[in-house]
Amino acid sequence: MADPSSRQGLILAILGLRKHFGGVQAVNGVDLSVEPGDLRAIIGPNGAGKTTLFNLISGDLRHDTGRIYFGGEEVSGLPPHRLCRRGLGRTFQITSIFRRLSALENVQTAFLSHHRRHYNILLPARRLYRDEALALLERVGLREQAGKPSGILAHGDQRRLELAIALAGAPRLLLLDEPTAGMAPRERHEIMALVARIAGDTGLTVVFTEHDMDVVFAVARRITVLHQGTVLAEGAPAEVRANGDVQRVYLGQPVTA
Amino acid sequence: MPRAGWLGLLVVALAVAPLALPPFFLQLLTEIAIVGLFATAFNLLMGFGGMVSFGHAAYFALGAYAPALLVKRAGLPMLLALPAAPLAAAAGALLFGFFIVRLSHTYFAMLSLAFAQIVFTVIFKWKALTGGDDGLLDVWPPAALKSPAAYYYFTLAVVGLSLLALRLIVDSPFGYALRSVRENPRRARFIGIDVRRHQLVAFVISGAFSGVAGGLFAFYNGSVFPDFAYFTKSFEPLVVALLGGVQSFYGPLAGAFGFKILEWLVSRQWPVYWPLFLGSIVIVVIVVLPYGFVGLAGGRPWRTRPAAKA
Amino acid sequence: MSGLSVGMFLFLVSVGMSLIFGVTRIVNLAHGSFYMVGAYLMVTLVEVLPDRPWAFWVALLLAPLGVAMLGGVIEIGLLRLIYRRDPLMQLILTFGLILVIGTLVLLAWGPDNKSVPRPAALAGSVRVFGQPFPSYYVLVLGLAPLVALALWLVFYRTRWGMLIRAATVDREMLGALGVNVAALYTQVFVFGSALAGLGGALAAPTVAVALGMDGDVLTTAFVVVVIGGLGSFAGSFISALLVGLLQSFGILVFPAVSIVLLFAIMAVVLIVRPWGLLGRPEQ
Ligand SMILES: Nc1ncnc2c1ncn2[C@@H]1O[C@H](COP(=O)(O)OP(=O)(O)OP(=O)(O)O)[C@@H](O)[C@H]1O
Ligand SMILES: [Mg+2]
Repeated sequence: MADPSSRQGLILAILGLRKHFGGVQAVNGVDLSVEPGDLRAIIGPNGAGKTTLFNLISGDLRHDTGRIYFGGEEVSGLPPHRLCRRGLGRTFQITSIFRRLSALENVQTAFLSHHRRHYNILLPARRLYRDEALALLERVGLREQAGKPSGILAHGDQRRLELAIALAGAPRLLLLDEPTAGMAPRERHEIMALVARIAGDTGLTVVFTEHDMDVVFAVARRITVLHQGTVLAEGAPAEVRANGDVQRVYLGQPVTA
Repeated sequence: MPRAGWLGLLVVALAVAPLALPPFFLQLLTEIAIVGLFATAFNLLMGFGGMVSFGHAAYFALGAYAPALLVKRAGLPMLLALPAAPLAAAAGALLFGFFIVRLSHTYFAMLSLAFAQIVFTVIFKWKALTGGDDGLLDVWPPAALKSPAAYYYFTLAVVGLSLLALRLIVDSPFGYALRSVRENPRRARFIGIDVRRHQLVAFVISGAFSGVAGGLFAFYNGSVFPDFAYFTKSFEPLVVALLGGVQSFYGPLAGAFGFKILEWLVSRQWPVYWPLFLGSIVIVVIVVLPYGFVGLAGGRPWRTRPAAKA
Repeated sequence: MSGLSVGMFLFLVSVGMSLIFGVTRIVNLAHGSFYMVGAYLMVTLVEVLPDRPWAFWVALLLAPLGVAMLGGVIEIGLLRLIYRRDPLMQLILTFGLILVIGTLVLLAWGPDNKSVPRPAALAGSVRVFGQPFPSYYVLVLGLAPLVALALWLVFYRTRWGMLIRAATVDREMLGALGVNVAALYTQVFVFGSALAGLGGALAAPTVAVALGMDGDVLTTAFVVVVIGGLGSFAGSFISALLVGLLQSFGILVFPAVSIVLLFAIMAVVLIVRPWGLLGRPEQ
């Protein structure tokens, strides 16, 4: 396991991160390091602090104590839009898209912003990055839906769209919070296989949370187990599966793959 | 007929209107154009940015007073003074907007109203400069533009160019990003947009064009009064935009047309009843339309699937 | 002293407005109109009631009741239909009400200013610190602590008051507890309207009862409510007194800037603590 305090060569390094809500210590001293190109699953029971951890990394929430390094530089306290510009992309556990814009416009807007054209008031935007956006929609399987208002797409398609929005920003690190939530098992595998392929093609680093252990063990390179706001275990899938603590935490939903 | 065809027809109709219509109707059309611009500028915020300002009278008034003061106190001719309208309004919008965009929803509306009341009170109290309650009189355009037909053409040209600019802005990358901010500010942040700054820029643009409307109105009216900044004036673009539809770029223009014609018809017969009439329309429109004005009222133009809870 | 009395009228209007916002989340712009209707009802009642010493007091009781009925009709007939909608829509609707009520008052009472004679017993003045001071203001000032106390008792010592306070903190809870939320909304709206009506009725003998009074009181009450904290009872009280004093003294000391100062204070409060000095931040 790489040491997060030596940030060299790590795309993400987290040291002693804490966050509480009232009396709830949602993230309670997390150390985490992610190497470039990793496909990292963060697993843990409901309320383990996975989403909170993502919110802290992405600047959506301010942490109480600790440090976050992204690409070797400290980014603690940077707002989301800055982090996004530095190459951090994310999706949300509850689908977050621009519901009254078409699927195409959703992705186009992400491209426009990524290319820093979003203050341009002179060009017509309709044709800008249209081909790129269509190609990306094709990649996530939404080419046919491009013209539809995204709010009426099927749930699974909305999740694909959000993935496309995040990818349009050409991130170096992509955080996916339960990207397959609410999908049928088959679609879950399909989506995660797609993510793995894209990551492989582009050298993108992916950190994702997921409750379906089948999916996790099928795609993750490494797994971090979070429990009550702390890291319980970390390692390659085989190591994690053999870990007794993990077995105990998941009592009732045994870790089988 | 294609859209361009209709547009061409409209332009021709507006161009030949002075040949067919008596001065009174030209003045009515002039007012419609001014209110239409005001409401369209306002709707850049409401319809496209999802921000409802209850204080847009402030920018209208700044746009009216700035050139009026230059004419009265510095003796500038109208054409040199008029550019001060968008500048003063934009400056005011930048100053106030900086704070306003920090808040959202009801508080956004209330702070914008508070700033507008400040503008109103300053105008009202600063008698030495603004004439206070008496306003500034004799703010007329130069002789060449003084006839109803001439000022009508002038207004049409300025409003036409302004609308063109606003249309460009709505369709530009900036406009796309603004819509994304309206739809989902959090998501917008995560595609790299500085939401507050984007809102502020939109606020300033909207304020500037409201100022253009105010400036045009000052010289149309020949005088300016503190009422221009009063809170009831702030509701004018809101009501007009609501009547016409905030979802479309041209909605507020249609609304301005309906609003002014209605106002003329009603107040010609029963001047006293006009506010009653207007108030009732506002109430009926809000209560009866099931989803209110799409988007604002939380309603959506199409059925959407609820985001599934994971 | 007169600043304190102005503060008292303001308090009655703004505590009602604040209460309505706290429970229903509606910023009732028509609240100034309710105040105006209260004052006009007072004009009529004092006219039509027999010229006896008790007439004034009966009018003072009936005027707020009339306004309460008006509030009830509006709440049940209109607002109830749109509680689920965007709060801004409700705000715009209450703006429509300003126009409607304003015109109806004009039609009913005509464009001329009216005045309400002070009751004979309070027509004179007393000396306070050697300064002559209208006796009627003494009544208002005497009433102030009484009304505030009564409200406090209602809010803090009755089950109804407890529900209201609970509603301002967490509305979802109430429904979950099996409280009839719709009825509570109506009651609160009616009660708040009555307070505005009482404010108007009490103020009527001290001002010219005129058509513009709705807008004037609305803007000031709005400032009071925002500074004190929307939904905060104590906040409204303190901030009404402050604003009343500031207005009266301000006009003596620096007439030109006092109102600007008021709105500036309000803007600062909104920027720094949008929920007001004594209010609670929303979740
Ligand atoms: N905004 C918030 N306010 C208060 N408590 C919160 C908030 N967000 C999270 N929590 C609490 O923090 C803890 C961690 O929640 P978090 O959402 O991070 O868990 P999670 O691992 O993502 O769970 P799940 O698998 O259900 O998504 C939980 O106890 C939750 O109730
Ligand atoms: Mg979660």
